[in-house]
Amino acid sequence: MSRLLRTALLAAVLLAQAQIADAHIVSARLGDFYAGALHPLLTMQDVVVWIALGLLAGSLGAAGGRWLVMVFPLGLCAGLAFAVGSGVAPASPLVDAATILVLGLLLAAALRIPVTLLSAIALLLGVIRGAANAGELGPQSDRLLYAAGLAAAGYVTITLVMALALTLRRPETEPVSSWRGIAVRAVGGWVAAIGLMMAGLSLAP
Amino acid sequence: MTGARALIAIVLALAALLLGRPAAAHQATIAVLEFREMRPGAYIGRWTTLPKDGVNRIDLKMPPHCFLRLPELNCGDKGLVGQMTIANLGEDMSAAIIRVTSLAGETRSYTISASNPVVTVLGTDAPTLDTWLELAKTYVNLGIDHILLGADHLLFVLGLIWIVQGGWRLLKTITSFTIGHSASLAATAFGWIGVAEAPLNACIALSIVFVGVEIIKQQRGETGLTARYPWAVAFSFGLVHGIGFASALAGLGLERRILPAALLFFNVGVEIGQILFVLLVLALIWAHRRLGAALPRWGAEWPAYAIGSVSMFWFLGRLARVLAAA
Amino acid sequence: MTARKLLHAALGAALLSLLTTDPGFAHEQTGVGGGLASGLLHPLTGLDHLVAMVAVGIWGAQLGGAAIWILPIVFPLVMAFGAVLGILKVGLPVPELIIALSALVLGLAVALRVRVPFGIAAIIVAIFAIFHGHAHGVELPTAANPLAYGCGFVVATGLLHACGITIGALARWPGGERIIQGVGAAIAALGGYFLVANLGVAA
Repeated sequence: MSRLLRTALLAAVLLAQAQIADAHIVSARLGDFYAGALHPLLTMQDVVVWIALGLLAGSLGAAGGRWLVMVFPLGLCAGLAFAVGSGVAPASPLVDAATILVLGLLLAAALRIPVTLLSAIALLLGVIRGAANAGELGPQSDRLLYAAGLAAAGYVTITLVMALALTLRRPETEPVSSWRGIAVRAVGGWVAAIGLMMAGLSLAP
Repeated sequence: MTGARALIAIVLALAALLLGRPAAAHQATIAVLEFREMRPGAYIGRWTTLPKDGVNRIDLKMPPHCFLRLPELNCGDKGLVGQMTIANLGEDMSAAIIRVTSLAGETRSYTISASNPVVTVLGTDAPTLDTWLELAKTYVNLGIDHILLGADHLLFVLGLIWIVQGGWRLLKTITSFTIGHSASLAATAFGWIGVAEAPLNACIALSIVFVGVEIIKQQRGETGLTARYPWAVAFSFGLVHGIGFASALAGLGLERRILPAALLFFNVGVEIGQILFVLLVLALIWAHRRLGAALPRWGAEWPAYAIGSVSMFWFLGRLARVLAAA
Repeated sequence: MTARKLLHAALGAALLSLLTTDPGFAHEQTGVGGGLASGLLHPLTGLDHLVAMVAVGIWGAQLGGAAIWILPIVFPLVMAFGAVLGILKVGLPVPELIIALSALVLGLAVALRVRVPFGIAAIIVAIFAIFHGHAHGVELPTAANPLAYGCGFVVATGLLHACGITIGALARWPGGERIIQGVGAAIAALGGYFLVANLGVAA
């Protein structure tokens, strides 16, 4: 410990001579981090898609789900970076509706989705939602902090929902009509219905 | 060990984002308005630090019985008592400080911010229930703000959770951290002890470095100080962090007589924020165990190194500031 | 300082999901609260709709077997399909009549414990579900946030269905079967009343 301290002090003195002006970091303020974290959690599209994806991954078992802990936040960041970089307009509500519908159908059908496909779906959804969240990024906000907040929110939500879904999952030994299996699949049916209605409403004359 | 493994992913995520912070976090521009009482109830006011966007854009509202046309403010017999509001604080100006100097020469400061657009000016009479409620709301929120925005405090708590790994020991450790920072927060706020802010911030950063080193020790199978006496370590570093909390409170220019109450509410806010954070981390640890999502063996030490590096980076920056001031 | 404001907003949103209407919720999506509330309330407003939804749940539980788990999963989807038809103004013949008829038929099925093969039951329920969804879709408020309205609508429908399943589960207790048949008879009576009222209007 003392050796570490000595080294640290020495390094600090050297650093102090080199750059003294850089003192902003000290304040360690993370306002834009919370902006990035809370914006998606207050947006229904994000909440519905994230929770449905978490349920889907969790209901497929731990082996597939654990990759999403990394893949989904990375997708969000990639989408955000892409949208900021290329300045694309947010996707139409029809795309949102279609993603919600497909997710719900996958969940309701209780298909066995291979891990790679699931990860690809998660990455794609992450990119779409990340790009959608770029709209809130003001010219003054700190982009890295905002991206970090967005990724952290995605990570926390997807991890917790997956773990909950995994806990609620129907054990292999129980019949297909056990309430655990039905509950998760019924939620899938509801999500698909929501997507269908949203599609209809956005097509409405 | 599984607990630590489960935590790894969390820390990596956190550490990565902290490392990625650019150097220029945006600095608040704070405007300062001073009022000096010339006759009973009549004040002369002027901006000593001008708001960035010009004076005219600021929507300052005084209590309804007061008449304001700068530099003149007339509140009649009642004096300056009631609510002052700036509703349109936003992106360009995050806070304004209003200083009021009474005929007797006593100066009080009030801080108005975008999240706290209303401040209540107390009369000389005893405070009413409403003022207490207003006070509670303001300072509990301030406390929550402070802990949630204080990445260094959160990182320290995260390190503690990692080493102690949950259960009764964690409860005891977090409680001693709380007792430690509450004690020093009170002592500093009442002026019993005084520590310069810059060296203190460096110490706070160093405490996180210490925790990072302890995690590595634990992973190598050695029993560090924290693993043996977590509550003692938590208490003593709690003292250091508490002084840090006090500096946030001191920046607001509190009135002496509401100080105890403000202190209490602020501390309650800090605890609420801290409990929320601890619960979130515990929930994530549970989720990671459930999913079996842990870092591979070769990456197991990264998060501890990340914590250590981030806090060492802070420490060096803060030390540079200390030396620059000296 | 934004953290507290955002925290408030988060709490507001949490409250919103519980209470559906929180006036303090002033995020940029102003239509969310209203959409959610109107979506939730819409399936609950018409008594003929309400009893028919509950009857479907009871009947499903009564039929047992595949019906008990396929219906909760597929039923909201078929309702939503009907609603989309309604939104797109695809005309269906004599909707009010069929809806009143649905309550009568489903109520009778429950009261008389009619047992039909699952395929036939599914077709009957699906036809009625499309008509119910259609009726809701036609009357849809245009200003509402589409996603919020959809969420509210589906959740309300699903909960009504769950209500029916719960009533159907009473059969496990002694005498529960009688209660269920009583509820079915009451639903059929209501359906009959609406049918007569509709025919009276039509005549």
